[in-house]
Amino acid sequence: MTATAETITTTSTTNGASSSLLELSNVTQIFSSGPFWNREHNYAVNDVSFTLSDKPALITAVAGESGSGKTTLGRIMLGFQSPTLGQVLYRGDDVAEMNAAGRKQYRRQVQAIFQDPFSVYNPFYKVDHIFTVAIARYKLASSRDEARHLIEEAISGVGLRPSETLGRYPHQLSGGQRQRVMVARSLLLKPEVIIADEPVSMVDASLRATILETLRTLNHELGIAILYITHDLTTAYQVADNIMIMYRGHVVEAGDVEHVINDPKHPYTRLLVQSIPMPDPNRRWADMRGANDPPFTGIDVTPTMCPFVNRCPDAVGNCAEEVPSTYAIDEHRISKCFLYEDAGTVSSANIASYFNIRESSSNSNGAKL
Amino acid sequence: MPDTVLSIRDLRVYFNIRAGTVRAVDGVDLDIAEGEKLGLVGESGSGKTTTALAIMRMIKPPGEIAGGTIQLDGRDLVGLSEPEMRAVRGNDVAMVPQAAMNALNPVRRIRSQMLDGLRDHGVNESRERMEERLTTLVAQVGLSSNVLNLFPHELSGGMKQRVTIAMAICHKPRLILADEPTSALDVVVQRQVMETLEEVRSEIGAAVILVGHDMGLMAQFADRIGVMYAGKLVELATVEQIFSNPRHPYTRLLISSLPDTAGKRRLEGIPGLPPSLLEIPPGCPFMPRCPEAMDVCGVDVPELLGETDMVSCHLHTEAATV
Repeated sequence: MTATAETITTTSTTNGASSSLLELSNVTQIFSSGPFWNREHNYAVNDVSFTLSDKPALITAVAGESGSGKTTLGRIMLGFQSPTLGQVLYRGDDVAEMNAAGRKQYRRQVQAIFQDPFSVYNPFYKVDHIFTVAIARYKLASSRDEARHLIEEAISGVGLRPSETLGRYPHQLSGGQRQRVMVARSLLLKPEVIIADEPVSMVDASLRATILETLRTLNHELGIAILYITHDLTTAYQVADNIMIMYRGHVVEAGDVEHVINDPKHPYTRLLVQSIPMPDPNRRWADMRGANDPPFTGIDVTPTMCPFVNRCPDAVGNCAEEVPSTYAIDEHRISKCFLYEDAGTVSSANIASYFNIRESSSNSNGAKL
Repeated sequence: MPDTVLSIRDLRVYFNIRAGTVRAVDGVDLDIAEGEKLGLVGESGSGKTTTALAIMRMIKPPGEIAGGTIQLDGRDLVGLSEPEMRAVRGNDVAMVPQAAMNALNPVRRIRSQMLDGLRDHGVNESRERMEERLTTLVAQVGLSSNVLNLFPHELSGGMKQRVTIAMAICHKPRLILADEPTSALDVVVQRQVMETLEEVRSEIGAAVILVGHDMGLMAQFADRIGVMYAGKLVELATVEQIFSNPRHPYTRLLISSLPDTAGKRRLEGIPGLPPSLLEIPPGCPFMPRCPEAMDVCGVDVPELLGETDMVSCHLHTEAATV
């Protein structure tokens, strides 16, 4: 518990040298399928390097369509999956080579929130179970009363009333409540990192805002670094500081979320942003149609081409011949597209070195826990 | 003023379960004009999907249509026998389902599934003529005739949803019910599928009821929006009116909780939960969550009032009746 208290005080001072909590170093994940004489290799994650740091702790969004590799990236960071190539480092130690004690610590400090708030519960246990197991495993409380107190504190922290939540079975809670209980569980463990994979896509719009606001509060007030995996660019924009856009395993664009969404550079990001159904009848898709409909040329994309070449309206000759390097468009933006070749390749493969650091870690409009 | 295709009056759909009666749809009035695109939004459990299923007469026990009328071109669907209703489904009212993968038979090719849909409704012509029909249908939704030879698992989610749209339009229905047709799709594919739906809709001149909870999608597609809450319509107005001047506090909160990309702000959710449909409290069902609740709200159920822009809220009772 003291370690967490330190984390809180140090983040509020900010502007210290950025320190690495969880680092991906040249991570590639290949899924192979088919018979041995005709094996197909699918690059779910293709040579991605980036860091989640705790000084300051930021919210980083990973966005892309299904099959872009965003969930695989999250699973690798959670240690559910060992990458085919590359390393995952937790506080500088390779997760693959950790001993049992190190792994236990890593498991505690890197917590997950998943998409489906029903399948993570065992329907035969009351919701209290997910808290008591965690408390017992990490010996967070020395007495029953202390445990109860911790649980109630965590549940109040996500805006639920303990008396109406505890002692109930998962099916007695609404989807939004179940998801908030999962957030409360993360809160109880006071982790350093939360990997949230589509946490609101199965929740009603009216509750989405509440859950996202809770995540933002966890980040701003407790200094928890958050990886927010989503296909919804509008929530990513509202919640995250920086964003990585993935397409077929490649990070095709990354940088400050404000710039990436309101001034997209990569043709795929442009297509994505133009397809957002804006809640504004005066900004309809039809008015913006034109160059944005992908031509879908018949090119059979191989791993030696730009992954977007068959849909790209701006494709040129060399797009079908080699994979573009990552170019640094400005200090807070990178893009894997030949259009920006003149900008020069990135000086560091680590995407996070181009992220914009939020100035103050405590946000004035953040709600109090 | 265009003709009314569908006219629903005082529709009630109740589910009789051991714990009591769940009033899933509780007195809905709705008119849809020819070729109109109506969006029906609400939280899960608000009755939007149940309303659509009731129009198709596809409410399964323990649910039942407990009252009201559903007139399609002047003919009451509630009173029809099951064989009569079978002729209406597909011919006059068609449905585009939510999960295209579950709507298609996984072990049969697209061709034979689409032929079933045609033959079931008495279209039985020469082989060449049928093939021609199918090719035209899939071309209308932007697919090549090659997909007819494929099995559903060989198609992407967007292609499957296009196939279900092709099936829905094959008898040129007067009304298409689309229940969250794109909720399983990515934004880019979602836009393409919705544009396809709009193209074929305007070609055959059908009206559409789009059921969903994505207000962004509604803003893109609908002419009018009906907001449902606890089995009732609480606001029914043009899409411009709903977004620029929402009148019901629930609509207002729903719209202000939407994330957009025009500047970061604090996201406000709607506190509380919808009432249990087993025991709907007296008065306005939204009252426990309403920031503007008054004394009268706990006593009287507000009526849906107004000419073109309708709202059921005591804040507007006087204004609407004057």
